[in-house]
Amino acid sequence: MELQDTYYNKSEYVETASGNKVSRQTVLCGSQNIVLHGKVIVQSDAIIRGDLANVKTGRFCIISKGSVIRPPFKKFSKGVAFFPLQMGDHVFVGENTVVNAAVVGSYVYIGKNVVIGRRCVLKDCCMIEDNSVLPAETIVPSFARYSGSPAHLITTLPEAMPDLMTEFTKSYYQHFLPTTA
Amino acid sequence: MAYLTQPDYVRYICTCGQLKPITSLYFCRHCLKIRCGFCICHEVDSHYCPNCLENMPSSEARLKKNRCSSCFDCPSCYHTLSTRASLVQPRQQEGAGDGKVENKHQKKMYYLACFNCRWTSRDVGIPDQPVASGGWPERPNPFATQINQLLEYYKAIALQEKQEKIEKERKKFAIRGKYLTLTDKTGLTGAMARNIAGLPSSDSGSSSIIAKFVPSQASAEVEELPEDYFTKEVNLNQITSMPQRLLSPEWQPTDVSRLHPIAKLLSVKRSQRCRECDHNLTKPEYNPGSIKFKIELLAFYHIPEVKIISYEPMKAGENSTVLLKLSNPTAHEMTLCLMNPEDIPQVDNEEEQLENSLEKSLTLDKESAACKPAAAPAWRRAAAPCVRAVGPPVRVSVPQRDDAAEYDDDATHDANDVIVWRKANKLGVRLQVATEAAASRGGAALLALALQYSYRNTVPPAANAPNQRNHILYTTALLSLGNVA
Repeated sequence: MELQDTYYNKSEYVETASGNKVSRQTVLCGSQNIVLHGKVIVQSDAIIRGDLANVKTGRFCIISKGSVIRPPFKKFSKGVAFFPLQMGDHVFVGENTVVNAAVVGSYVYIGKNVVIGRRCVLKDCCMIEDNSVLPAETIVPSFARYSGSPAHLITTLPEAMPDLMTEFTKSYYQHFLPTTA
Repeated sequence: MAYLTQPDYVRYICTCGQLKPITSLYFCRHCLKIRCGFCICHEVDSHYCPNCLENMPSSEARLKKNRCSSCFDCPSCYHTLSTRASLVQPRQQEGAGDGKVENKHQKKMYYLACFNCRWTSRDVGIPDQPVASGGWPERPNPFATQINQLLEYYKAIALQEKQEKIEKERKKFAIRGKYLTLTDKTGLTGAMARNIAGLPSSDSGSSSIIAKFVPSQASAEVEELPEDYFTKEVNLNQITSMPQRLLSPEWQPTDVSRLHPIAKLLSVKRSQRCRECDHNLTKPEYNPGSIKFKIELLAFYHIPEVKIISYEPMKAGENSTVLLKLSNPTAHEMTLCLMNPEDIPQVDNEEEQLENSLEKSLTLDKESAACKPAAAPAWRRAAAPCVRAVGPPVRVSVPQRDDAAEYDDDATHDANDVIVWRKANKLGVRLQVATEAAASRGGAALLALALQYSYRNTVPPAANAPNQRNHILYTTALLSLGNVA
């Protein structure tokens, strides 16, 4: 089925020169540490914790309503250190999802109500289904589809996953329109 | 993406008769046919660990029973175990946390811990290791000698049978004639000839193994259950579940205290090959972390894609309109014609197609012979389309894919009855369909749509083959249009 248009209130969103659309109803802590690489949508009530460490996203990422992007920490013998969080291109993060990963590759689909534990590594082209919990320090290989709590591999993804994700995020961006009224 | 998160609304019919979404189909450029996972050969290219992403040669993988030597799964919750470091002092108790101030006398020791269920290798008394990865003690299989004995026995039997076969062949062809044989001339004995040929000598080794083999005996006497077996209270927290036991089939621990880490199973990179022409359909790059392919002949890149934009509710015996999106993924302009499956001209070699299909090879010969007169395609048995396209066939021309097209202006809207809009290599089409009057209310409204499309073959032709580049190909798609209202 073809994607339907989603409309947003024009006064609610800020559009940057590089095409990022960021809602005003978000919590962007330490915005100097947050890099959105263009055509990224950050929807209302999302939280990005740039105050803990750098957060970098690629192009055409979608951060849905109520999701939390939070750099992971690691306990050392002398205390705690936060690590930067990197996200590739064409990543979809579903609603009310918490992402504590260290690296999220490109062409990754994360469903809604998912918890990605700290310091997880999501390789390129993987998918975490809705309502899954990925325990800390998990490595998700490419073309793997994970589901459950704890999430484990259930099946593989088609070889055309990069193109599917590219098409999906691009058409999501194109269908994310301001209300004309 | 919708292909992964939504049910399959549009399914194509594979050459073998399977119904599959376009994402799980392949297109052989050499046979010009659609293939699916059931009618191609799968080959293992390389083994790698999904956790540490390290390649393992296939010989080593076989030796290690397809398991990684440095990564482990939790025996309790099946999640990957992580290595934890702890500082151990000679006089201090175990379990000193990470937060301890470092001391000259302290030594780093490592143990395995599960971050999901908090199981640790210390729970079952596995001693900590001085190195971060590897070096974990391997448990000997209690039945190793028996298994080896069995393996040897069967190898010996196989060898003997092979030898007997060779012997028989030789006897058949060896006609003792007037000519001298090599053995007569050179004084080479049979045993020596065997030795030179690399065959084991006829009456040693294997036969002795077979002679010595003692088959296991079933006994009626079973060990008595302990006295308190029925009276002792069971602590379910101490007993392992069935999946936990079956995860390590050699030991099948019944007690939680005897769970051991399970070496992680390897994944494979696989390439796929057309069964008919033996050409590669997909071939991934060697590096386990890479998502690129050296060869990637997916249907998604070669055949026109049909998507449903919207549709009116289907009513039995009435006409309705369906809005479809057609896209051309190839680098050449494509003429597309939407029609009913009956309108596909019969191809001469259809018989041959059926012959090679998996459907046929799976069913018994007799059975397939019986159902041949009906000649119903395999998919008909699974799905009965009750909606069909009406009116003259829709014939459109779809431009080629252009990556720069996304910067173009908005879609152009044609004032056309058929084409609703055009944008780059995609177009929206309005299709009139009719539902059969006999369609049952509430049943699935399936529309069978045949696509005729032009295809430019870009494979350099073989020297003696006719240089035909443009083809007219057919494929059929089944579209789910909700239920009949």
